[in-house]
Amino acid sequence: MKPPAREITFTLNGRPRSVEVPLTLSALELLRDVLGLTGTKYACGEGECGACTILVDDRSLCSCLLFAVDLDGRAVTTIEGIAADDASEPLIQAFVNAGAVQCGFCTPGLVVQARHFLAHHANADRAAIKRALEGNLCRCTGYQKIIDAVAERVAALHERGEEKDARSRS
Amino acid sequence: MRGPDPEPVAGPAPRTIEGASLIGQRISKLDAPDKASGRARYIHDLNLPGQLHAKIRRSDRLHARIVSIDTSRAAALPGVHVILTAQDIPQRGLGVNKDNPALKGEKVRSLRDEIAAVAAETPEIAAAAARLIEVQYEDLPAITDAAAARAPGAPLLHDNKPGNLALTFDYEHGDVALGERESDFVVEDTFRLHYVTHCCMGVSGMIAEFQPNGRLLLYSNTQVPFLHKREFAEILEMDPGDIRIIQPPIGGGFGSKLDIYPFEPICVFLARAARRPVKLVYTREEEFIASPTRQPVILTLRSGCRKDGTLTFRTCTTLHDNGAYTSWGATTPFVMMQTISSLYRLPHCRYHTDAVYTNNPYAGSFRGYGNLQATFAVEQHMDRLAEAAGMDPLSFRLKNAQDPGETSLAGLHFRTCGLKDCLRTAAERSEFPVRHRRAAAARNDGSRVKRGVGMASMLHVGGGAKIYPSDGCGTILKLDDFGRVTVMTGASEIGQGSETVIAQLVCEELGLPMSAVTVVNNDTDITPWDVGVHASRTTFIAGNAAIGAARLAREKILRAAARLAKSDVDSLDLHAGNIIRKNDGEIVMPFAKLLRALHFSEQADLVMTSFYYEPPSKHQDKTFKGDVSAAYAWATQVIEVEVDTDTGMVRLLKVTAAHDVGRVLNRLGIEGQIEGGIVMGQGYAVTEDLVIENGVCRNPAFRDYKLVTAPEIPEMDISFIETMDGEGPQGAKGVGEAPAICVAAAVANAIYNATGVRICALPYTPERVYRALHAAGAG
Amino acid sequence: MNSPAAYLVPASVDEAAGALSRGNATVLAGGTDLMPQANQGVRVFRHTLININRIAELKAVSRSGDWLRIGALVSVTDLLQNSTLRGICPMLAETADHFASDQIRNAATVGGNLCNASPAGDLSPPLLALDASVEMACHRDGRLQRRSLPLDQFFLGPRRTALAENELLTAVQIPLPPPRHYGRFFKLGIRPALDIAIISVALAGVLENRKLNRVRVAFGAVAPTPLRARRAEALLEGRILDEETIRAAAQAAREEVTPITDVRASAWYRSEMVSSMMRRLLHEAAGA
Repeated sequence: MKPPAREITFTLNGRPRSVEVPLTLSALELLRDVLGLTGTKYACGEGECGACTILVDDRSLCSCLLFAVDLDGRAVTTIEGIAADDASEPLIQAFVNAGAVQCGFCTPGLVVQARHFLAHHANADRAAIKRALEGNLCRCTGYQKIIDAVAERVAALHERGEEKDARSRS
Repeated sequence: MRGPDPEPVAGPAPRTIEGASLIGQRISKLDAPDKASGRARYIHDLNLPGQLHAKIRRSDRLHARIVSIDTSRAAALPGVHVILTAQDIPQRGLGVNKDNPALKGEKVRSLRDEIAAVAAETPEIAAAAARLIEVQYEDLPAITDAAAARAPGAPLLHDNKPGNLALTFDYEHGDVALGERESDFVVEDTFRLHYVTHCCMGVSGMIAEFQPNGRLLLYSNTQVPFLHKREFAEILEMDPGDIRIIQPPIGGGFGSKLDIYPFEPICVFLARAARRPVKLVYTREEEFIASPTRQPVILTLRSGCRKDGTLTFRTCTTLHDNGAYTSWGATTPFVMMQTISSLYRLPHCRYHTDAVYTNNPYAGSFRGYGNLQATFAVEQHMDRLAEAAGMDPLSFRLKNAQDPGETSLAGLHFRTCGLKDCLRTAAERSEFPVRHRRAAAARNDGSRVKRGVGMASMLHVGGGAKIYPSDGCGTILKLDDFGRVTVMTGASEIGQGSETVIAQLVCEELGLPMSAVTVVNNDTDITPWDVGVHASRTTFIAGNAAIGAARLAREKILRAAARLAKSDVDSLDLHAGNIIRKNDGEIVMPFAKLLRALHFSEQADLVMTSFYYEPPSKHQDKTFKGDVSAAYAWATQVIEVEVDTDTGMVRLLKVTAAHDVGRVLNRLGIEGQIEGGIVMGQGYAVTEDLVIENGVCRNPAFRDYKLVTAPEIPEMDISFIETMDGEGPQGAKGVGEAPAICVAAAVANAIYNATGVRICALPYTPERVYRALHAAGAG
Repeated sequence: MNSPAAYLVPASVDEAAGALSRGNATVLAGGTDLMPQANQGVRVFRHTLININRIAELKAVSRSGDWLRIGALVSVTDLLQNSTLRGICPMLAETADHFASDQIRNAATVGGNLCNASPAGDLSPPLLALDASVEMACHRDGRLQRRSLPLDQFFLGPRRTALAENELLTAVQIPLPPPRHYGRFFKLGIRPALDIAIISVALAGVLENRKLNRVRVAFGAVAPTPLRARRAEALLEGRILDEETIRAAAQAAREEVTPITDVRASAWYRSEMVSSMMRRLLHEAAGA
């Protein structure tokens, strides 16, 4: 017997998308198993590790806790969308340069969470960065270099902001 | 395959261009861009056409005879293709004692035991079918306490293992009775080390496919692909040559993937029976319940010293809870006894381990391999003896620390030894002596939140480990006509950065940028043999093998260039993708142009093969004496903690680490290894606790198995002691396991320094610490 | 995991209450508890899954008269960031700061946290200490009716509340705190936020001259439900926060709780921490 399903329409990485989803399907399963977007990872299935972090209407969420049907009418950005977005290239490069990647399994979730954080807290200090990443478990790096990567972006954005200010004043 | 020329290994290649070396630079990982952008495809992300999904039905009894297994309801479920039970596969045991059949037929011995397996169209159908399998049991008395397993009349887990004894280990040097007589101070404690587990972020999984020609293709996360070929061949009654293992990017290893586990042959048997590719991936809960743990140990240590602080003896007995089956955890005494016998100069030593069967989960290998447990005990006793002798912890350790060139009485030969430098550097950078004195003096000042510092050192293999008959690794190096270098190495990348460091070592020899190299390291049909990623050996062994091949290529290129340029081979060098003149750096020709000039010429033999086979150490004799590694890694860590005496909460404020790494190759990579290891050690010391109560795992989820999160990490100050090991690649030694090893011991000493209370059991959760302070009247 | 047979996305409280009145429904809000509980099989979906996330009214924070109204779908992140809330009830922001992780705070809702009725629910002690009430709506006699219930009567047991099957929790109402109102929350866990409380405690009252009036003390994870420590409150009411008062209140609180032993902590340790954390919060108040 086919499980009860519902057709939803949402924006996925900037493009409209319609798909029929079973009522209990998680957004994580929809992305990975139905839509083939495997950059979003399963690592716990209960919102405790952040490997499945995605952006929904500009808020970061654990896609494993999100009912796919609830995506109807919303805008979803996954790591694939971020990787294809030129504006996020420096963030991914910061992770690479800082040595923030080891086994890499937690990394896409961290990049998505970092992107969400940077969009809202351009002037954060290191303590705030650590708190922002507390929902993303990493077993390899000890977090130090991940924090370095995000701190580098904060500093770069800050610098650019100051440049912009200086330009607008002159 | 040919080996390196007789004497090419000693010392770095001659260089004339200043500042051009890649050694010691911060080099980002070659695989990082793919991983950070979500493009890397792990096992979980791969799906083969026609693939089925597997689910294992596990025991829900601790110890029971299987009376019957009824699979009829499960088989009737639409979408189910194959169901296997023990009677469908050969009853061959897996693991160290070959005591663990992939599917259990006669009896179950723990809650993780595999009874049946299903392959079905979807994971959901497979899971539903597994639940529908009906198993009738006849319960047997269970043992979930290691001491009880040794008691006379205890129920036997394995009929052929009297006394439930899985393994024993004995080691001795000197005469401990004499050592004790010569001691002015003697201390004894029993240390209890708990269960923790690897928590690789990528859960366990495998895809198995039989090809039309009968060959088996495995997509596997194993850390030991070549050993696995042989193991699979035995179990499957196949020719090992007919097995090809491909390792997609691996979502964390840490030792967990060193053994073959039942789920792997189960997946293969399902694929064979279904004649379809079969994928088996754990859930996180299954990962907690059914993957290996770190070895839990009850360790009694008795140590002595003279008035002047000279160590006299150590006697160590350990009881290992082996669990129901024997994997690598039971063999951790190989490493533990090295620390007991050889961390500091020790005239008399005796060591004994009993590993006993219980109905608990079994332990595997886990970063540090028993050394966290042994170091936890030894380094606490160093502090206790120092206090007894009226010495500070640093002076006491320096007095007993070895010098380069020494051989321990266990036969470990320390060609390089940075222990004293590690001790001095960590102490100096952390202001250890003054902080230690100050904290001890402030113990009774009435404050609720106390600070303390603790010190611990460690010794670990750093140049391979002669655990298997061979500790070698092969390399094939191919130069193409466009100047690209492909390095095929047997060494696996599990996130630790071996791929990048191997590329770096090759580029260093060939004067090429990192962008010119591709490393192929994950396909047993292509790559030469390697024993596997374990024992902090990959940079050392695989790195030396890669250097060997690169030096052959270098020699060949320079000879060809000399012929073409009509100059003397000794006048030429390789730099920045060019052949240059040594004396003035003038470019003779680009590297790629030279290779094209050789196109299908007589000199165009542009595939080099080499190997490195760790030569200086021999296998230990039956009494565990002798060298086990070509080089040894040393470290000292000083850890400052804050103890909230109202709650028992212990926070790590700062870790000052000094590591003898031989030489820094990739600074970014080695920092990452050490930071990650320290935080893993922090988890072992403070937050992580896999609670096994009466054989049942009570917290199989990240909700209650607490990994350290970003806000909790301590400040980390890391110093590298570069002892330039003559045998190491460019002087480097292995470092993968070292940083995790002494954290718990240093935390223990720091808590004592802060509170005056010594706690001999881990982890230092708030409740444990609070209880201890309360009992001591210090809370 | 079973599946609901039907799925509704009401646009208003009225519509949602109408759907609930037909019975046999499961309400979906943030999903952070529902999804894992369904996956673990501890929650079974009823016939209809009602997704209330499109009801705008439930997302509002408003002030009217002497009351602050927090819609049931206000997220924990909103508690942390909403400037009105931060100004009026800083203790809620302090609590939100120790709630799970950013990703969870972004999804988890105030109403969901209360309806989940975990004895360790992070928001319960501070809301109890703020004298909060919950507003519930249902269809009765063919029209929408709302009722209000003090929060301390809402929790009936672990995962059990006074919310009837046909009711929707629509808002939390908090009386506007008077001047010099003081409130502190403390959560004891191994990790700073991403943790289930070993115990949690909220202390509130009007603080003047080292005396607390209208004292409220509430605990989490020490009884089948989040709970007010009324004897401790009575001992503190209007008294100078000296050593003796603090010790007596901490002792009283300890006697009022009935913690259990589980994988996170023993009953004994929880009891010790109740008095220890009570003392610490009171000392802080005395010094504030």
